[in-house]
Order: sequence, then structure tokens, then C-alpha cells
Amino acid sequence: MAELQKDPMTRGDFLGFGVMGVIMGGIITVPAAAFLLEPIINIDILGQSNVSDDWQEVGPVADVGVEEPEVFIVEFPLTQIYGDQEIQELSPEVPRSQEEFDLTNAVWLSWKAPILEQGDQGNSGDTIGVPERPAFLDEKREGFTPEEISEVEESLNILSNSCAHLGCPVRWIVNADGEGEFLCPCHGGIYDINGNWYGGPPPRGMYRYTQFEVRENGRLYIKHAYDVEEGIPGISTQEPYVV
Amino acid sequence: MIGRLRSQTIETGKFLADWMEDRTGAVTQLEHFLYEPVPKRGAWLYTLGSATLFLITLQFLTGILLLFYYVPTTDHAWNSVYYIMNEAYFGQLIRGIHYWSANFLLAVIGLHMARTFFTGSYKAPREINWIVGVVLLLLVIGLAFTGYLLRWDQDGFWASVVGIKIGSYSPFIGPYVTHFLLGGDVVGPATLARFFALHVWLLPAMIAPFIGIHLYLLRRHGEFGAEFEYTDRISKLHERQREEGYRQHEFEDDEEYDYDDELDEEGGTTRHRRDDE
Repeated sequence: MAELQKDPMTRGDFLGFGVMGVIMGGIITVPAAAFLLEPIINIDILGQSNVSDDWQEVGPVADVGVEEPEVFIVEFPLTQIYGDQEIQELSPEVPRSQEEFDLTNAVWLSWKAPILEQGDQGNSGDTIGVPERPAFLDEKREGFTPEEISEVEESLNILSNSCAHLGCPVRWIVNADGEGEFLCPCHGGIYDINGNWYGGPPPRGMYRYTQFEVRENGRLYIKHAYDVEEGIPGISTQEPYVV
Repeated sequence: MIGRLRSQTIETGKFLADWMEDRTGAVTQLEHFLYEPVPKRGAWLYTLGSATLFLITLQFLTGILLLFYYVPTTDHAWNSVYYIMNEAYFGQLIRGIHYWSANFLLAVIGLHMARTFFTGSYKAPREINWIVGVVLLLLVIGLAFTGYLLRWDQDGFWASVVGIKIGSYSPFIGPYVTHFLLGGDVVGPATLARFFALHVWLLPAMIAPFIGIHLYLLRRHGEFGAEFEYTDRISKLHERQREEGYRQHEFEDDEEYDYDDELDEEGGTTRHRRDDE
């Protein structure tokens, strides 16, 4: 082999080539890679989110009945590319270049039903009793006292309609016997009224909103944040959450 | 008159072909590329690869046409598809061809793979071509997946959500895959822009060289037997015929001249050795 090497390379040359190769390779690849991987850097490393951190109104909690959950549409303002926010800050008189794209979430609200017998994820669902709706809601829809607010907050299930399996929208279905359940149309994931796993492929119960507050006016407000469990591959196990 | 014209045309054609051949070698290359021995038995099954190539070509052509009207933004994507389907001349036909040939493409690729598998065409020396084919399959699946979202209707949107969420189940890199595809932490304008870039530039640009390698390897080893296998077999046949011819000559020589000392037993063996080489 040695005689084939017409232009023998010294150790110094080799080292030089190596160092220069790394520098030149870095100059070529790093900007392109960073350009492409911007979302990963922003979200997974810097922990930023595209979704607005403001409170969004869901609706009056008194609308939620005992037997069935109630669905509310919540639109979260979203900033994603287009540079609209930056341009607005620089020159507010310029009209927005694009129509705003809001992130639409469907939120299911139900009253917590007491768990009589704890189920086993993957084998059997919980045995539950009748959902407990705070009694004072029959009389008043607004003007809650702090005690009433905390009572409502404690007894409310605030669930995302995004199935914990692959993200299809789940719906409340009542069968012939009058028993209801959350059913996912894609692969038949089933959840009970508390949003806990009851059957099908989902690896956990429905996603719950973790940041919420009920105000004096009797309405619920939420932020875009979910109870992501470590080790269960949801759409993301990292904050801020994706659903 | 007509006869002369015809002969003149033929000569001009020959001249042009020779001219090109001398300068580029294109004619030989073309012949080499187009002609190929194919088995008579089950010949139709061997057209599945060409069918795949044809459908991919259709995808490229109709895709280029669709790009003239499609607008990849969240507020115009669906509207521009609506325009193509209802207003643009022959828009329904062109998008229909893009849509249906994409569907048939996956089916035909499946049949093509099955044919390759059941005829054992993946065996040595064609393993690399099988691997390149699998890469092509994955690229086509990627194209089908990214193309789905571009319509920006409920169907494509939710299919993409499910697809991205399947990606989130990948071990270790799940969230990174998700965020890379989403272009953010939720589905939004960035997702559409990214899928558009993948569907229109990145994946087609990747698929083209792999198609080239696939075809080159196909021509190298042949569909039914490599070209070199053929030349090998044919040269062996010629050799045998020559040998038989020599033997006959020897036989005749023997009769005519008796035995010459120089061509004694050794003569026969040396000649054999030369043939074997």
C-alpha cells in the first residue's frame, strides 16, 4: 500500500487537515442545522412556547350538568413564524400581514365522580359513583364567594379532547343503556366521566389542564398547560406542552 | 422521388446519430439503457418497476403544475386548493391525477416489492438495490404523509396530528421529532410551511438521486440475469464451439498429414490450456 501513496502525508499535515476539516465543516453545517432545528432549540432547550400565556375564558361552570360533561371551545392566540409580532412592535400602524391563526382547543368539563374502586391501567377502569355537582350552582350562576370558588375548582374535571393515544378528538357518547363514556373515533380509546382510562389503546387518562381558575363571575379561565406524565409517550413529555 | 427522399432521410438520421455518438456516446448509452433481456414467463410482472417510475414522473409533473396555484399559508392553503378544484382550467384533472397517482403509487410499490420478494430478486448480487428500494419506499411514504397536510382540511389536519403523535412515540428523540415537524409546540402556520418545504423540495430532491442509483443498479445486474452473466455465458459457448472446431481440425489434420512431431500429444494440451484462459 505504501508505494501507492504518491503524496505521503506527515502527522502534522494530518492534524492540520483534521483541524481545518472540523472548522470548515462546522462553518458549513452549524448555521444550516441551527436554521432547521430552531423549534427544537426554542422549545426543548430555551423552553419557549408559541401559545400565549394569558388566561383564556372557557365558560360559565353552572352550564355543566351532573350526568353529562359539557364541551367548550377555547381559542388560544398563537404566534408562529411570519414575524407578525415583531413587525407590530416595530410599527403598530402596519396592518397584520396574515390572518391570525388561533389554536383551537375543545375543553370538556365534568364534575368529579367519586372513585369507589381504583382501576388498573390497561386491565380495568375505575368503578365510579354519581358525579358530585356543588349544590349552590342551582341557585346562582355568578358572584361566588372564595369558599364556593375553591369548592368548584376542587370538584371540576377540566379535560382536553385530544386523545392520549394519538391525538384524535374524543366525544361523549351515550349508549343504549344510558351510560356515557368518552370515545375516541380513531382507535376506540374509552375514558370515564372523570377522564380516566377505561378501555382501548391510550396509555393513560385524558390530558387535564393544570392551570385554571374560577372567578367571581362564575366563569372558568385556563392556560395552555397539561398534566404530562414522565415516561408515558404523549405528544410531548416536555414543557411547554403540545396537544 | 419518394424513395430518394426516404433514403436521404435515413442517411441524415444515421449521420446525426453517428455525429452524436462520436461526441457524446449517447446512442450506445441509450441502447444499453433501453434494451434488456426479459424473461418471457411472467413478463407483465416485470413492468411493475416501470409503472412505479411512470407514476413518480406523473407526481413530479402534476406537482410542478399545482405549484403555480397553491399557496402554502394557513389562510390560503385550503382556498387555493378550492380554486384549483373549481376555477382553474383542468384543475380538477391535474389535482386528481396527482392525488390518485399518489394512491396508486403506494399500491404499485407494494406489488413491485412483492414481485421482487417472491422471485428472490433481492438475493446476491442485488442486495444493495433492495436497500435502495426500501429507502425509496420510505421517501415515498414521507411524501404521502407531508402532502396530506398541505390541503389544510380537517382530514389532512387530523391525519397529520396522528402522524406527528406517532413520531412522538419514538424512543429518546420523540419530543425532538415532534417539535421539528411542528416547527413549534403546536400545529400552526409553521407546521404547514415545514411540510410544504419537505414535500416540495427536500423529499423530491432526495428521491431523484436514489431513483438514479436504483436504475443504475438494475441495469448493472439486469432484471433476469446480469449483462455480464450473459456475456460470460455467451463467451463460454463460443469457446466451446471453437474448441470443437479445433478438435475437428486436428482430426482432419491427422488424417491428411499423419503425425507431425511438433504437434505431438503436447500440442493438444497446450491448446487446451490456452482455451481455458
